[in-house]
Amino acid sequence: MQDRPTAPELLESVAEYLFGELRPEVPREQRFKVLVAANVCAVVAREIRAGEEPDREDLALFNELLGEEVEDVHGAAVELSRRLRAGELDDRIDELAPRLEEHVRRKLEIARPGYSEGDE
Amino acid sequence: MPDSLALNVRSVLAERGSDPGDLVLKPIPGGASRETWLVEGDESRWVLRRDPEGSVSLVPIEDEFALITQAHEAGVPVPQPVLSEPRGGRFGSAGMLMSFVEGTSVAPRILRKPEFEQARARLTAQLGDALARIHSLPVSEVGALLPAVEGDPALAQIDEWERQLDEIGEPLPAVELGLRWLRANSPGPAEPRLVHGDFRLGNFIVDEDGLAAVIDWELAHLGDPAEDIGWLCIRSWRFGNDDRPVAGVGGLDEFISAYESAGGASVDRDRIRYWEAFGNVKWAVICARQAHDHLNGVRRSHELASLGRRIAEPEWDLLELIS
Repeated sequence: MQDRPTAPELLESVAEYLFGELRPEVPREQRFKVLVAANVCAVVAREIRAGEEPDREDLALFNELLGEEVEDVHGAAVELSRRLRAGELDDRIDELAPRLEEHVRRKLEIARPGYSEGDE
Repeated sequence: MPDSLALNVRSVLAERGSDPGDLVLKPIPGGASRETWLVEGDESRWVLRRDPEGSVSLVPIEDEFALITQAHEAGVPVPQPVLSEPRGGRFGSAGMLMSFVEGTSVAPRILRKPEFEQARARLTAQLGDALARIHSLPVSEVGALLPAVEGDPALAQIDEWERQLDEIGEPLPAVELGLRWLRANSPGPAEPRLVHGDFRLGNFIVDEDGLAAVIDWELAHLGDPAEDIGWLCIRSWRFGNDDRPVAGVGGLDEFISAYESAGGASVDRDRIRYWEAFGNVKWAVICARQAHDHLNGVRRSHELASLGRRIAEPEWDLLELIS
């Protein structure tokens, strides 16, 4: 067991420094880079907090769409991508679009919360 | 490198009639795949764009130079082209020199700073006018610089971006679904035109009077002119102004009215929507490719790395458009 702060707490402290203290101090053309760095820290903090649940949900979703029991989420995404490309799922595009929104929403909850609600 | 490059740029300019004196080169950040340098002399400024060492771009820089020259002659606001040098020439890698255009291309500044209020009011119509002029360039001339498009231009673009996705090798099921949807729903062939290929906020230099220059022509190709309008309108290029589809400043009606008055062919809204779906696929693949460039060491950069986590944004907008 590591002492506090936890990993996400540490990352958030760095994000606060980069965004709140450093960004106003650097030349204007460098500010966007600092903003990106702060945002990356915030993304990773959210990912650590979310744990393995989003991957488990994606694996269950991909396996349901494939009708298979692939063991790892990356392998399932590769297989789903392969079948889509091969046209094997062409008659299910309307059904798959909202289901893949579930997967993309899980990515956005880590990478850009609020985007899928259009509230930014 | 900048020192010897500065001397070479000076000699190139001196040869063309007037020695600009000592030049200072400063990198301009933000270029996606080409290096951009601000060239400062005592009295004038220029911009030098060149390929990074060892990199090959979609449109060779000499052809990009020729396109910008033709666009300039047709009244499209672009930086005044000065000259281009081939690979191994005086700019080292292939490069082109052009005039410096005052203003900013930084989207949040254009959209939020009070000094651009008048520019924002004018920009939508100015973009419609500029794009109509680009699409009116004679294909007999620009076509000599670009690969011919055979058959349905939508299918040609789908093939191209599918190929780029394959080079990256990441599984993106939502993008794959989008590619299948695009194949099944092509609006059919259109009269091929010069498509800018990256006509969007971020590639417009804007001053207080509005549009000063359209830059970054490296994705130019022949295709369906509606492709540029769909790309212009994708949510990513609204930079938060989600209810204003045209560059985050205006509506499609005003844009199309200016486009058609400036000689653009009448455009079908469904066709634009199709190309907006395509644009989201393209932006997702570009994000993946940029992150991949970082991962492979082509260009190490946390900015490029972070784009890998932005793939989900165009994926979401894509799925919303096709659902």
